[in-house]
Amino acid sequence: MAEALLEASEVTVTFGDRLAAFDAVRAATIEVAAGDAIGIVGESGSGKTTLARVLVGLQAPRVGEVRLEGKHVFGAGRKARFPRGERWKVQMIFQDPYSSLNPRMRAWQGVAEAIQVWRGASAQEARMQAFRLLASVGISSEQAEHFPRSLSGGQLQRVSVARALAPNPRVLIADEPTSSIDQSAQAQLLTLLRQLQQERGLTIVFISHDLALIRYLTSRVYVMQKGQIVESGDTLRVFDRPEHPYTQLLIASIPGRTQSPPLGYEKR
Amino acid sequence: MLVALRRLNRTGHVGLAILLAMVLMGLVIPMISPYSAISSAGEQFEPPGPRHLFGTDSLGRDVFVRTFAAAQLDLALALAGVTIPLLIGTIIGAMLGSTKAPLVSLLWQVVIDAINAFPFIVLLIGVLGIVGTGLQGLLIALLLTGWARYARVARTRALTLRDVEFVQATEVLGYSRARVLLGHFLPNIYSETLAYGLSDFVLVIITVAGLSYLGLGVRPPTPEWGAMMADGRLFLQRAWWITVFPGLALSVTAIGVALVAESVTSRAKGEE
Amino acid sequence: MTLTRQRVPGNQDAGAAVENSVLLQVQDLKVSFQKSGGRLLPVIDAATLTVHRDEAVGLVGESGSGKTMLCRALLGTLGRHGAVATGGSILCGGRNLVGAPESTWRHIRGREIGYVPQSSLAGLNPVLTIGAQLAESISCVRRMAGRDLQREALQLLDMVRIPRAKQILGERPHQLSGGMRQRVMIATALAQRPKVLVADEPTTALDVTTQREILTLLVKLRRELGMSLILVSHDLAVIEEVCDSMVVMYAGLAVEAGAVELLTRVPRHPYTRALRASRVDTAVRGRPLETITGEPAAVGAWPAGCRFAPRCSLADDSCRQGLQPQLRPVGRQQSACIFADRMEAQ
Repeated sequence: MAEALLEASEVTVTFGDRLAAFDAVRAATIEVAAGDAIGIVGESGSGKTTLARVLVGLQAPRVGEVRLEGKHVFGAGRKARFPRGERWKVQMIFQDPYSSLNPRMRAWQGVAEAIQVWRGASAQEARMQAFRLLASVGISSEQAEHFPRSLSGGQLQRVSVARALAPNPRVLIADEPTSSIDQSAQAQLLTLLRQLQQERGLTIVFISHDLALIRYLTSRVYVMQKGQIVESGDTLRVFDRPEHPYTQLLIASIPGRTQSPPLGYEKR
Repeated sequence: MLVALRRLNRTGHVGLAILLAMVLMGLVIPMISPYSAISSAGEQFEPPGPRHLFGTDSLGRDVFVRTFAAAQLDLALALAGVTIPLLIGTIIGAMLGSTKAPLVSLLWQVVIDAINAFPFIVLLIGVLGIVGTGLQGLLIALLLTGWARYARVARTRALTLRDVEFVQATEVLGYSRARVLLGHFLPNIYSETLAYGLSDFVLVIITVAGLSYLGLGVRPPTPEWGAMMADGRLFLQRAWWITVFPGLALSVTAIGVALVAESVTSRAKGEE
Repeated sequence: MTLTRQRVPGNQDAGAAVENSVLLQVQDLKVSFQKSGGRLLPVIDAATLTVHRDEAVGLVGESGSGKTMLCRALLGTLGRHGAVATGGSILCGGRNLVGAPESTWRHIRGREIGYVPQSSLAGLNPVLTIGAQLAESISCVRRMAGRDLQREALQLLDMVRIPRAKQILGERPHQLSGGMRQRVMIATALAQRPKVLVADEPTTALDVTTQREILTLLVKLRRELGMSLILVSHDLAVIEEVCDSMVVMYAGLAVEAGAVELLTRVPRHPYTRALRASRVDTAVRGRPLETITGEPAAVGAWPAGCRFAPRCSLADDSCRQGLQPQLRPVGRQQSACIFADRMEAQ
């Protein structure tokens, strides 16, 4: 397999103090190849969000490290500082669209700020580029002038995507991006993300409890239960022939389907 | 902040009008009045009449011109006594709430809590005892003690903001600490401390007046509402106007500030 | 894995309603928010929904569709949310509940029409034990005390398949898991033996494995108690699994209604069709999802003409300029689209 673009190696995250410590994530190892869309699935308490935060440098592990393009970039103890110069490569969109944006900034301002910081543009240049970037994710210039409180959940998530794209990242980590939005907005957002992956070669890591979503979008999946990765592999294989009992339980719990949907897909 | 002014509703406009009127009169009346604010201008204890609109006090000074000369002083003192601690306190509080160095934060928290533990006036008297009374002392005392209240509010708010997604996003985006503090923390904190500050405006005016009433504030013959009210205390039966008019001016100003504060807070609450 | 559903005759059949088995009939209901100055902000314009005995009806809609308000209208709690029914009817047991006084509602709420909310944590009193809360609910309909009361409570917990029921009676809500709490909520609602249970997104806040358990439970309960169900959900897969018929709402209107099978195979409203096509769980890998352009029409900003027209691929000028089409029978379904007849199976 080609060298992984982003990896987590034996990551353990422990919360609490000596008396009441627990491992939110234990010995997790993830490999993300360039251009891939991978999924991390699990229910509440599985540790998937914590792991995502480690990957993006928001949460320091107690043990283990994160490597970017083969080089160590984030780890435990004294190494728990994600080098600022590398930050642009890994970006994130969050679950709650209503708190993902600064309520005091208009939609375009948050994006323009990221552009100014990472593309060295002047204030005017950054403003123009921000509008363009927002338009490319389906936010009109009129909507871009709004404050977050006037935008819908789906629109807010797309603005977050624009902001995350401003530094031109290699990897985008999407933490349950569709959990809090309507179905039609979900379709729009997923289409956008899929487009970004296929047309721009953006590597995407989807964190979700929605198995159907993971099945549709990803080529590789990691299944987490109580902090540990219990199964991983090619998405279709995992869904068709799950090996771990927990994976089997998860798949059996998907509502509504009497049989697997048609498996037509294009080989990448 | 100018945007904030524009968004005041009718209540705020009335309050602002009252304050502006007071400021204007405070500037204009001492200039155009034929009488001096600090020396005798006629008979003692003259009741309010066409020559002395507010009457004269125990030294024959015109109460009208003194009341509005005092307005200058009290308003300026209250302004300085609120805005400077507000600025300093908000920034310090925001920095403490957003820092990753827990020890520093803890140390300062102890200092802040210690200052906040005392009632405002007790603290002021304490400081005045050290730096001396008078205008200068008052100002120093206000600055040294006022900031802690805002720092506490700002710090608490900053601590909450730290875990909100858009602030986490600034970390993922690798923004500098200064940018995050100025662009993301402060704009989401200042409306709370500002609301606090506006209501403190009234508190400071009344406290300054009170301290002067106790003889710990400005020294005579400087006109100041509290001092004037104290002077007139002994003559309430004979010459009520010496106390009542400065008192009225104080109340009207306090109402004006309260209206503006009410307008700003209700607007802020309505929006969020 | 799926669960067999009972086919119930007369579900949402246009014109073929079997009168004596209709438990609840909502017809052309209009609901508005009461704003300052006596202004009314319409939030439901024409909601129509029929519940027969032993039927599970799904209510589907996105934000702004009015489905939450419809639930509140069915429970008589509109007033608490600053809203009021301004037209139409809700027929239950021969009475029109629109505009009914609180005294009438107190008999209906819980006893005829039960309710299970989305958030079980918010629905349970944190300081009372489970037993106490069950007892409260039971006491609304029966005079019981002591051992009889406890037996009834245990029976209810057993009905919702809660293990260690006796121990649970003494525990408090925060000690239970989300799934257990939701079962307790259902038990509390069942205590009054309602004829129709309104479940407002009962599994949205739960893990997928827990969701499976709760849905299985709801289906079992329906079969065992012969209870009707109104299931509100944004998840079409859940509706398909549990419900016999469904009503789709958009911008305050019921835009399509009929048997779940029919609406799934041959949706006769562009919105229903678009919702189906944009689902992730039936999406084909490698093929793009169909998206609906634009945003759902927000309350207070309903477009003129057909409310779905700005986002509709079939819309023409008569749609945009004419009146909002009403729900009308089309074959064995009901649709509010003028092109309903022309929409064929995919």
